[in-house]
Amino acid sequence: MRKADEQGFREFAAANAASLRRTAYLFCGDWHTAEDLMQSSLMKMYVAWKRIKDLDNLIAYARKVLLRTWLDEKRRPWRRAEQRDGELPDAADATVDPDTTSAKLWARELVHTALLQVPPRQRAVLVLRYFEDLSVAEVAVAMGCTEGTVKSQTARGLATLRTIVEKLDNSSGRVAS
Amino acid sequence: MSEQEIREGMLLAVWDEPPLDFDPDTLIRRVEQKKSRRRALVAVGVATAVIAVASLALPGLLPRDRDSQLGADTPASSSAPPSVSVEKKAQRAGDQLAAKLGVTMTNLTDIAGSFNPGRLTYPPFTTSTPARAPGDPEFSGYLYLTDQIGPTSLRVEAGVKGLSTKDFCGGATMCKDVQQKDGSVVTEAEFNEGTPEIARAEVQRVFQSGYVVRISSHNYNPATSAGLRQTVPVRVGVLTELVTDPAVAWQ
Repeated sequence: MRKADEQGFREFAAANAASLRRTAYLFCGDWHTAEDLMQSSLMKMYVAWKRIKDLDNLIAYARKVLLRTWLDEKRRPWRRAEQRDGELPDAADATVDPDTTSAKLWARELVHTALLQVPPRQRAVLVLRYFEDLSVAEVAVAMGCTEGTVKSQTARGLATLRTIVEKLDNSSGRVAS
Repeated sequence: MSEQEIREGMLLAVWDEPPLDFDPDTLIRRVEQKKSRRRALVAVGVATAVIAVASLALPGLLPRDRDSQLGADTPASSSAPPSVSVEKKAQRAGDQLAAKLGVTMTNLTDIAGSFNPGRLTYPPFTTSTPARAPGDPEFSGYLYLTDQIGPTSLRVEAGVKGLSTKDFCGGATMCKDVQQKDGSVVTEAEFNEGTPEIARAEVQRVFQSGYVVRISSHNYNPATSAGLRQTVPVRVGVLTELVTDPAVAWQ
């Protein structure tokens, strides 16, 4: 690859690595896996960089690659999902505000428990629509499906998520809004 | 739960994002390493396939006849007519001699010729035909047969070089030359070799070209050096019929 192309990729990767990792985290619910997914996606893009470097919306292409990489990873029969049944010791953090901490913990619960129970493709639609703020058309391009499918998957995903959150709130005593 | 709450919840979910330790150069290096590994793997695969195909295809492409090999010890003559290979010639001579012997002596069974290019092999000392030397006969071998006593064989040699006709009759109790119509001379000889009966009967035919054919019958099996018997299984008369059989193309 030419030096100029390589430099272009370097800049693109440095600028978008963090955002891609966040999206990957919402897909998979684990920061380490998210980092692996982000790196795998960027490696695939580097191999195809000559061909894709002139695309109008490179970040949309990167999201598409990330989504495919994650779905491929999930489809692998030998994939061993990490078992998260260990108890981490509680440690007090004096710098955090108790008022905002409960909201943040609830948000983490939302991802770790509720969002991860939503089927993968519905979860992907929800992340792309509500975290990445993409339009229905952009999500359809990223997922390689029709806009109608995006809409139906969004509706189903929301319904599933609401049901799970409701169950979580009932069990923890929090009132669902 | 509203869409806005989901949006805010997702944004809050990444609030404890660990620091990103990402170096594009490391990633590029990893990709290049992967690429070179893949190329090496493909190269090894292609090389293995080429070797496998070559090993299968080459034996079919190379000449099979010993005489047509490069550096064969018999110099190719531009005036010599194209002829069948020595192996095929030897095989045909063996088949024809076996057929002739079967017709001439009906008491014999299991008659079969086994001739190879080059000098004679003497089992059990050698198990394969040795490499052909310049002085060796063109081909030689044994004509196997079984009579009422048991299995034995006749020794056959044919060629220009290595078959000295001198002293052929040395020590013979009977030796005579018979002139053939084609100009060749058949010499019949019998040897007692210190025994009361004939221990060896041998016939040689010398063509005008210098080509010599020799068939001998012994009071033992020359192919195995065993099977001693009182006298020879086939007498000179039959040996002469074999060596003069027009069906056998000796030259």
